This record gives sequence, structure tokens and C-alpha cells, in this order.
Amino acid sequence: MGGQDVLGKFRKEIRKAEYPRELAIDVMYALQARDGYLTDEGLVEGAELLGMTPLEMEELATFYDFIYREPVGEFVIHACDGVVCWMFGEESVVDYLCRKLDVAVGERSRDGLFTVLPSSCIGQCDKAPAMMIRDRTYGPLTPEKIDEILETLKQGHFPLIDEGDRDV
Amino acid sequence: MFEPLLFKNRRPERPATLDEYRRGGGYEALAHALRNLSPADVRHLVGDSGLRGRGGAGFPTGRKWEGVPDDGPFPRYILVNSDEMEPGTFKDRVLVNIDPHMVIEGVILAGYAVSAWKGVLFIRHSYEREAALFEKEVAAAAEAGYLGRDILGSGFTFEIKVHRSGGRYICGEASAQVKALQGERPRPDKTAHMARKGLWERPTVVNNVETLAYVPHIVRKGPEWFKGLARTGAGTKLYCVSGRVRNPGCFELPLGTCLSEIIEKNAGGMLPGSVFKACLPGGASTGFLPAEFYDIQMDFDVLKEAGQRLGTGAIIVFDEGTCLVGATLNLMTYFARESCGFCTPCREGLPFVRDLLHRIEAGQGEASFIPMLKEMCGAMSHAYCAFAPGAVAPLKGLLTYFEDEIREHISQGKCPYGPDPRPRELTDGALWSA
Amino acid sequence: MVSLIIDHREITVPDGTKVIEAAERLGIMVPRFCYHPALGSLGACRMCAVKFMEGPVKGVEMSCMVDVEEGMVVSTTDPEAMAFRRWIIECLMLNHPHDCPVCDEGGHCLLQDETVSGGHGLRRYMGKKRTYEDQYLGPFVQHEMNRCIQCWRCRRFYQEFTGYRDLGALGIANGTYFGRFSEGSLESPFSGNLIDICPTGVFTDRPSRFRGRRWDFERGPSLCLHCSLGCNTVGSAHYREMVRLEARLNEQVNGHFICDRGRYGFKYTERPDRPREPEVNGERVPQEEAIHVVVERLRAIHESAGPTAVACMGSPRNSLETMEQVARLCRTQGWPGPRFFWDASVERKTKRAVSRLDGSLAVSLKEVEEADFILVVGADPVNEAPMLALAMRQAQRKGAAVAVLDPRPLSLPLDFHHLAVPPSRLNSCLQALMTRTVPRNVAEGLGADALGFFDALAGASTQSGGILEGISKILPGLEASTRPVIVCGMDVVGEHTPALAADYALLMKASKGQAGLFYLLPGPNAFGAALFSNTDDAPETMIEAIEQGKIKALLLVESDPFASFPDRPRLDRALDRLDFLVVLDYLPSPVAEKAHVVIPTATVFETNGRYMNQEGRIQEARAVHKGGTPLSRTGEGGHPPRSHLDHVPGGGVRAAGDVLNDLAKSLPVRETGPMHGDPATIPAEENRFLAELLEQGCEGYGARWPAGSTRARPFAQEALSPENDQGDADGLELLLVDWTFGTEELSSYSAHTREAELSPYLALHPKDAARLGFSTGDRVVLNLDEGSLEVDLRVREHIAQGVLVLPRHRQLEWQKVSGFRVTLPTNRIKRI
Repeated sequence: MGGQDVLGKFRKEIRKAEYPRELAIDVMYALQARDGYLTDEGLVEGAELLGMTPLEMEELATFYDFIYREPVGEFVIHACDGVVCWMFGEESVVDYLCRKLDVAVGERSRDGLFTVLPSSCIGQCDKAPAMMIRDRTYGPLTPEKIDEILETLKQGHFPLIDEGDRDV
Repeated sequence: MFEPLLFKNRRPERPATLDEYRRGGGYEALAHALRNLSPADVRHLVGDSGLRGRGGAGFPTGRKWEGVPDDGPFPRYILVNSDEMEPGTFKDRVLVNIDPHMVIEGVILAGYAVSAWKGVLFIRHSYEREAALFEKEVAAAAEAGYLGRDILGSGFTFEIKVHRSGGRYICGEASAQVKALQGERPRPDKTAHMARKGLWERPTVVNNVETLAYVPHIVRKGPEWFKGLARTGAGTKLYCVSGRVRNPGCFELPLGTCLSEIIEKNAGGMLPGSVFKACLPGGASTGFLPAEFYDIQMDFDVLKEAGQRLGTGAIIVFDEGTCLVGATLNLMTYFARESCGFCTPCREGLPFVRDLLHRIEAGQGEASFIPMLKEMCGAMSHAYCAFAPGAVAPLKGLLTYFEDEIREHISQGKCPYGPDPRPRELTDGALWSA
Repeated sequence: MVSLIIDHREITVPDGTKVIEAAERLGIMVPRFCYHPALGSLGACRMCAVKFMEGPVKGVEMSCMVDVEEGMVVSTTDPEAMAFRRWIIECLMLNHPHDCPVCDEGGHCLLQDETVSGGHGLRRYMGKKRTYEDQYLGPFVQHEMNRCIQCWRCRRFYQEFTGYRDLGALGIANGTYFGRFSEGSLESPFSGNLIDICPTGVFTDRPSRFRGRRWDFERGPSLCLHCSLGCNTVGSAHYREMVRLEARLNEQVNGHFICDRGRYGFKYTERPDRPREPEVNGERVPQEEAIHVVVERLRAIHESAGPTAVACMGSPRNSLETMEQVARLCRTQGWPGPRFFWDASVERKTKRAVSRLDGSLAVSLKEVEEADFILVVGADPVNEAPMLALAMRQAQRKGAAVAVLDPRPLSLPLDFHHLAVPPSRLNSCLQALMTRTVPRNVAEGLGADALGFFDALAGASTQSGGILEGISKILPGLEASTRPVIVCGMDVVGEHTPALAADYALLMKASKGQAGLFYLLPGPNAFGAALFSNTDDAPETMIEAIEQGKIKALLLVESDPFASFPDRPRLDRALDRLDFLVVLDYLPSPVAEKAHVVIPTATVFETNGRYMNQEGRIQEARAVHKGGTPLSRTGEGGHPPRSHLDHVPGGGVRAAGDVLNDLAKSLPVRETGPMHGDPATIPAEENRFLAELLEQGCEGYGARWPAGSTRARPFAQEALSPENDQGDADGLELLLVDWTFGTEELSSYSAHTREAELSPYLALHPKDAARLGFSTGDRVVLNLDEGSLEVDLRVREHIAQGVLVLPRHRQLEWQKVSGFRVTLPTNRIKRI
């Protein structure tokens, strides 16, 4: 993280692009991946690259669910709180995670590893209850399964292969 | 024996490759169309087939394509809507994972039909792996000569790219999706007519992933054949089933299959100990279908006549042990959170409704809430777009068929279904995340 | 035309009218928030719901989104529509803080009005309200987001209408927030209009915050005097103090809006050092005594040195009434003049413009919005007359192309081609355009003068390759246009540019059937000044006349040479030579300090006055209050006095015209001049048009300058004489220019607009900078004729080569150059 010229590959694309603003979300994702979240400085950088004002970029950044404008943990857990996932389990996945990680919704855990965000629906209704971390989805979840996943992540292993990985 | 179309290449653990797709007749429709058919021919085939949009609105696809004016400007766009965020709906994810090339071929054919030479797959952030898969297969198709310039020597040019969403339900609405693509704040725009002035002010056809996957089949085997596949309506349908069933999943069945058959013969029936109470037939923005509708044919017109909506055909099954007030509260919280904020009834009215339901579920409801909720459900139909009316569809169903359940909450001063106050105790300010 | 019925009343309106507009014409104000006549329909608030009872549309629909159709029957009072509107208001009030008692908007709040009219009263929502943190947005606009009902007007106005990009919508759902990326002054010079259009108290007038309620104020229709556009305002006064200005609708001039310089430049009225009592040699005296002293001394000088030794001078900020009195005084006393300009070149240019602005060519500010091509010659709208930039933007939003020929590094909130030509090349550039876009036979059809002129054009225009290339980019648009407008400024253009601009407009009109001419003039009543000004009998400039001892007494009426004369030491010396200097003004100006007698005059807010804007339109500003020393000063912050006086403290200040009238009546009667005794004594030709217009009165949107009023001959070939193209190869031409804030005279005295001033800097081209070894951020010293000037430097891309652009900024001691046009040798610019 940090310091890589993630915007380098965009510079060429933007120069060629008929409509540079189409790349706005991709630029934000790239900056987010570089800095951990979309920082003020990163936002200004990205805006300049695209010929947008910082305000125009902020109008987009604050609209979207997956653009983080505040520091988040290394693993952002999007736990589904949609109606199907809600139906299963004694306790909701969001509540369980917050309890287990001793963190409030949207906060960063003290070890800097996790942030829990309710998100709905992540498209895993046939494997409810489910959660998403980066580009991986996990479900159906039980408290034990959640503990296992958290443990693996804490030990620095990612990605995990989940049996519900490829749904065909 | 029912032969699947979209799922014919279904394999455990991996999607069908380009070769496997071709071996099953893939890209033959494209070749045939480019060689022997005019764009108008393709439009007529799809129009005659009775194919209706599978993204929730059920608009006749052929008619949508005919909306592109012949003398309209270029370039034109096929916008493939893969923003699937309706709770209960996961069919597009499943489809792309099974047969990405079927979708690709459908997109190219749609492009040919309206003389578009650019396709954009708009895919939600949660489907990142599907986006990567699609990009990989688009490259493979290009290398095989099905994309790019002068496809199969026909002179027709088409290219597809993938655009990832930042993540908001409203991006699934066509005009909002166009704004999102253009790097602007998304919001629906009722004055924008996509077929004439859509993406970058050019004619744009917005179609759901599933809808486009049918097109190669229709072109190969003809409209009459397609119509014949259904029980009512035309063609097959991908039905998602989730909730209190044994085998939740996505099933391709003739359009118009009965609800009972879908649940019992495909989804393994109810979970042991569960008794069917109600379902949402087409995802979160449809109304509760109680047991009296258990045998209804799951088709656009049939459900419409019954005062319901097929939507995406994503069936969420609730059992007798589940509190529908709680379920509705969960849905209202979701919709209030996803409101784009443009118009008053949605932006302010949905949280208002949600607050009333929250009080009811927490045992603090009053009888006067019921007429208030009915009044507001009616008023939602005058919102700017279809989001708000869809958002209160479950609530309307609750008020119509399960008003007693609401009254029980109020008279008992608590939720009769359990000690724990599920839903989560959200503070009113935290309806949205990050 | 379409006929429909609304609430049982029939109306016929043009096609394309929205139902809400049709209702308004019947006097039915359908409740609304997001709809605004200048911004159009949006359909977001859902407040304008009406029920369509019969016809092509049925049911409840939003009246702002539906076009009228024949046979519609609409009810605004149908119970379903009314219940829905009541619920919408209830929804909007869910999160509202209900803080009317402490909100400035109270009493003129659209939300208040619609809540009452909507019938919402009892609150049923029991949840928490969302709250926001406010931002500092600069000195003009106060931000209180908790009151927001997300009507979207501010964002649409700011981004779509004015084209600025630092305010927008953040967040989503019912947390949607309108603000900036980070705190700081709003960049748009039209930000104050947010206050007018915001239907709640989110954006309120910051300088007048907590000052009072609408009904506490004395209010009156006024005019902005801070440029020549003549935008309409409404002034509010409280306890003899001007509190705030708002925009006043004029559908032919400024529409619904005004710029921030106009909105906040008024605070010169309450400066503590404003002259409020007459002074003779620094001592306060009663008015009669001051008049007496003036009369006596003028009479004495007249008798000892002759009538030509006394001069009376006004300025382009005089009202027409004042100008009439100045002219009358000069004529009846036989004094030379009257003059109204210190810069002889600007005076000539203005007069040429006025004499060529025939009513059939003149376009109003609103009509500029209908142009399909706008060619700007030597004007910088955002800095000189901001509302012109706004009108140009609306034209572009409808598809117009814009090209600007100007040496300054100007910016506009729209796309435009900028040909950064030095002043010496402006004319030849214009001529090159003319030869390339007007067919010869068109000129032929206009007569021998036109043809001769046209043929001489080709010979007179020589161009460098770079300029030709720039011209070629704008040619296609100009050729294809069917409704072009030429805008011409006075500041940096050559002597004959205004005439050339008019000739071009005439040729284009003949060629295309329609063309418009739009001048920017140097002052709110510069048009009147040009008509009244009489310099035929005095070939030298005013300052020369004083230096040569020809003028011994000078009566300055609301005119301060120190505001614009470029050589302050020379001016000081000249004025010191005078035997007698009288100043009539409301500004505590530098020249008033030098005067032997100062007589205070009333501001535009304290007396009625008529002004001619750049289009020749006569409009009237009416007194907002009667004047007098503000209570905040006489009362020293305490409660208003409980006893009554028989006079208003400081209430003896009168309109300049009335003071002059007194002088005229007290001075001996002289039998001189052809029109003596006639109050409106101005040369016969101008008198005719002006008299006609004055007779017409200026009700409504003002009286427009008539067609057929051109007095100067068009197509004069002398205009084509090549300008001095040989600039000093080693020198840089110093251009003294206007900025939005900090250079205009009246607003430079206003505490409010002072807060918006940007730090002044000197601008130059990268090539020139490279030659001199300078870069942005350097601080340089200019060794001028009368001293040195230190200023920051900025290198700007789109500026003419060979020029230095310096604002006539209040914070700079720039008045050390020997003339209005100066070339600075490069060795006189050094970096510090």
C-alpha cells in the first residue's frame, strides 16, 4: 500500500478516453486500494487527474457504499442484513461480528484489522446468512464458521477458498 | 422433459468455456444473424417471441429495441444491467457464472439489432469475481473473432467493456445507471428517454443480463418455439428461491410454472418443521403472497391480475414461525437506506414508515399507525420513480393480508414471535453506511 | 395556443407551458419548492401535485412536469391532491428544527408559507431528526443545513445555472448535504442568489444576520450602480441604515438574479466617515452657510477670471436628475462642459458607443441569452460586469458558441475560444473577422459608404499567423450563426473599436437578418454621461486645463478623480493649484479631503433617481429610506430614543440635484448659452430622444432606447487606420483592469465586499516571464514614473504576449503611472 503509482495506468487511459469521467469510480477504487481508504489527499489527486473538482469527486464518493471516506480496517466485512439473511440465525451476523470484534458498526477494530458494515443484499440469498470480504463471499454462516474465518484473517491469510466459491 | 436453455451448460464448480459453449451451438445464432438477417429481422424475431424484460419491469424487449430511431445518432450502446441488488435476487450472478458466453452472444446480437457498436456491462461491486470472469471471457470471444471489428467478415463492429459500480441499489434503474456510468451522481431521470438519448446522449438500450441470454436461442430456434416453452407467457424464467426451504437456489423453469411446483419440486419444499406462511414472489419490492396464492402461476400477467408483481421472480419464502412485521421492517430499513434522496416521499417518507414499523415491532405501536401506514403506502405511488412504490409493496401486502399480525403486536405490546427484538436496534441516523 | 380549465377557470396559453405556469397566470400559486422559473421544472419535491379531472391526463400528477394540453381540466383543491400535499409538507418537516424564532428566513420563508397553505400542523413523527455540521462558506452566505428540505435549487442554480463547481450534493438518502468539499469562500460571484432562492433558512444573508424581520424593514425598489448593466434590486433599511439587498425581477435585464458585487457593494452608505454635514475648510457649518460660501466664491472667481475659469464635473454614477442639474448649471452660467469623465479616451469611446447604439441593434441583457454566437471584443465579463457572464452562459446552455478577443487572462463559467490578442491588435483582428464572414455584396447593398469601408478593410488588416489560426477556429461558428451578438467593452479597446463593433453588427444584421450589439460602459449611468457631456469647447483634458491655470474653481458632483486617475501625485499637484474646490458627494473620498467645501449628498437609497444602463434603458431607483445618521450610531447601541425629535439626526442630507438646484437659484442669472433656463438643457438631438423616453416614464422594466437613434455615421474609414502596431519590442504594455472585487469605486468602500477581495497580482505570459526570468509566486517591483510599486506575480497561460495586466486594486498603490496607457520598459521590472 501507499506510494505506488496506481494512478499511472489511469493517466494513459484518461488521455485516450473520450469521456474521462467514466473512470471516476475505478480511480477511486484504485486510490482506496493504495491508501486503505479514500483519503482527502487521494480524492484531490484523483479529481485532478480526471479534470474534476474535488467537490465533484466527493459528490460521487459520498454517494456510494463501497467507497470509504473514513479509515477502515484492513478487512472490511460487509455483513448482509437483508431480509433473507435476517431470517436465519439466533443473532444477526452484524451483531455477532460487532460483539466478537468489540467494535461498533463502521468503526475500526483496535488492532486495525476489521471494520463491520451492514450491507444488503450481496446476492448470496441461497447461502444465507452471508457476508463479503473484499471480493469473497462466505455463507451459509454459523458462529463457528465466522470465528474460523476471523481467525484465519487475523493470522494474515487471505484469500480463503470457500466451498460456495463458484456457484454454477 | 424440460430442457433448460440458459442453464444447459451448467457445470459444477466452473463456468462453461468458449469451446464448450460453441460445441452446444454457441455463436451460431450470431453467425446466422450477421450473414442472413438484417437488424430489423432480429428485432422482429425478438418482438414476435414475446420476450419480456427479466430485470423486474417485464417490458417487452422487442418494443424496447424498436424505440431506437432509425435516424438516431451514433454510437449507440447496449447497457447490460447486472446491478442486481434486489434482496432475494441472485440469478444474474448464477447465470454469468454458468455461461458467460451466452450472455456475450446475446449482447452482440442486441447490438446488431439496433446498430449499436458498444456494449457496457454494468456490474455491482459485490460481483467483482463475476466481473473479472466476464472480462476474461470477453477477451476470449474477441480473440475468437466474435468481438472487435468486422465480426465474422460481416462488417459489423462491436466491443464490450465492463464497468464496476460504486454500490447503490438505485444504479439498477436505467437512467440512474447512465448517470453513474457518466461519472455523475446517479438519480433517475424521467425526462430521459433512453432509446433516443441515453448514455452520453446517444440511443441506449438497457437490458437485464437474463433477458439478453435468451436472444441467441430465439434467433436460432424462432419465436414460436420460444413461446411454446412457457406455461403462460413466453420462454423460460430463472426463478430464485431462498428463505425457509430445503434447497435454496436458482432454477430455470418454464415461465408460468406454479409457485407450489417451484418450491416443492425444485427447492426441496419447506424446511423440516416449517409451514408456508407467505412469500415475496419477485424480490423485496413485491408484495407478500399468502398461502391462498400457493398454486398461482408465476407469470407477469397472471400475478398482475391478482394485484401482485412478478418482478425478478426471486421467491423469498417465509414460514409460520417468522414475524412478517419484522421482515417488513427489515425491508423498509433497507429501502430507506438505499433511497437516492431525490424526491420527498421516498427520502423522508420511507424513514417515516420505517419508524412506525419499528415502534410496532418493538411493542410501542398504536392502533392509529395502521391507517397512517395505509395512507402513506398510497401516497408513495406519487413519488418520482418506481423505487418508493416498490419499497412499500411488502408493507402493502402486510396491511392487506396480515393486518391481524400487526394488531397482535400492538395489543400485546411486543412481537409475538420471539423474545429478541430482531431487527437490530439501529439509531435513526445510521440508515446508511460509510 | 392551448386552452384548459384550472379550478373552474379557463385560460389560453402557448404550447409548451407547464400547468403550474398556466395556473400562476390565473393568480393560482400552486405550492412548490424545486420548481423555479429561472431553473425550470425538476419534479423532485412533489409539492405541486394537482389532480387532473378530465382530459388527456387523469389523476394526481405534478403540475410542473406536465405540459398543458387542450381540454385538460385541473383541480388544485381536490381532496386527494390536497391530502397528498399536506403529507409532503409533513415529510419535509420531519427533520426540520422548527427554529423559526431564531431563523432569519422567518417572515419571508417559502417553507413557512407552504406549511400553512398545505394545512400541516400536528406532528406525527416521533423519531430522531438528522442533524448536520455547517460550513463556513465565505463572508456572504450563512450556512445552516438542519433546515434543509433537499429541494435541489441550490445545486441546480450553482452548478447548472452559474457553472461553478465547488458546491454540490454530498451523501445520500435523507442525509443528503449541500456544501463544499472543504470550508471556504464560495467561488461563484453569484453565490448571494442562493439566499434568494433557498426556500428555507439554509442559506441566509450573512452580513445582515439577526438584524431584523422583513416587516421591520423599510423596503424599496432600487438599482445596482456597480457596473453599467443596471440590474434591479430591492433594498431593505432599518433604523436609517441599509441592511441588505436582494435581487428584483426584471425579465428584460437581470432576470431573477444579481451578482455579489451588486448585492454586497452597498455598504459605502454607512461608513462612519461618510460625509453627513457640510464642511467649509474642515469645519462643520449649516447647509445654508455652505451654499452661501460656494455661491460667493464661485461668483467672485467668475467675475475676476471669467466663466471659463469655473468647471463643474459629474461622473457616470450621477443620476439623470443630477446630470440635468449639472448641465443646467454649466449652461446657464456659461461655464465650460459639463464633463463627466477624467479619461478622455474612455470618454471618446463611450460617446462613440452611445452614438452608434441604435435601438434596432441594441440587445438587452436577457436577449443576450438568445444569441447563438457571442463575439466578445475587449471585455472581461466576470470582472467588469458579472451578470453578463451569467447571461452568456445561459446562451451557451442553449447551444451558443462564444469567442473572446481580449488580452487579459480572463475566465468564464462556460466554454469559449479565447484569442489573447494585445490591445493594439484588437481592431485588426476584428477587421480580419469582418472580411472573412461578410459577403461583399451585403456591404454593397448597404450603400457606397459601406462598400468603401468593406474594400478598405482588407487593406487595413494585417495579421500574424498565430492570430489567423485563432480566427480560423471561430470562423465556422460565426459564419453559421443566425443570431450573433457582439459585446464590446471600453477598457482595453482602441479608440475606434466601439465604432467597428457597431459596423460589424450592422453588416451581420444585413447579412443574416438579425444581429445584436452590446456595450459595456464605464459606469451605471455612463450612457447618460455620454449624452450630457459637452467637451466641444475644450480640446484639452480637465487636468491639463487645471495645470494650465485655465480652470481656477472646480465643482465636483459625486465624482472622485482619485478613483481612476492613474497619476496620483500629478493629480494632487493639479488640485492644489485650484483656488476653490467644492465636492458634493456621499463618499468619504480622497478628493473630499482636499476640498474647501464639502456638501454631503444622498445615496441612491435615500432619494429617487433615474439611470440609463448600457443599453440606453432608463430605469428608476426609488428611495428605500429617508436617510439620516443610523440609529446604531446616534443611539450608541442603546434602545431607540423614547422621546421624539422634530428632525431626523443627520437628516439634512439632500440629493445632489437639489443642492445644485439651490446653487443655480442663488447664483446670479447669466444670459448665456442657447438653452438657458431650460432644466433639461442638453444638445438638441440627445434632448429629443431623452426627452421622449423621460416622458414615456420607466414603469415596468424601464424605457428602452429607441430605434433610429444613431447619430454618428457608420462605416467611417478613419476607424480603419491601423493602430500603432509597433509596440516597444523591449517594453510591456501595462493594462490597468477591473476585478470583480477591489477595483470598482463604490464597492471598494463597502466593508462587505472588501472581505471578498482577492490579493492583487500582476499577470503576464509565460514567454514574457521566461524572458525576464520570473515565475509565479515571485514578488516584483515596478519602477513607475511617479514611484515604485511592489506586487506579487503570476504567470498565466491565456494572456496576450507583451502585456502586463494589473488590477486597479484598492490594496495597491497603482496610481503612479504617467497616463492611462503606459508601456513599461523591461528594465523597470525587477524581482525582489
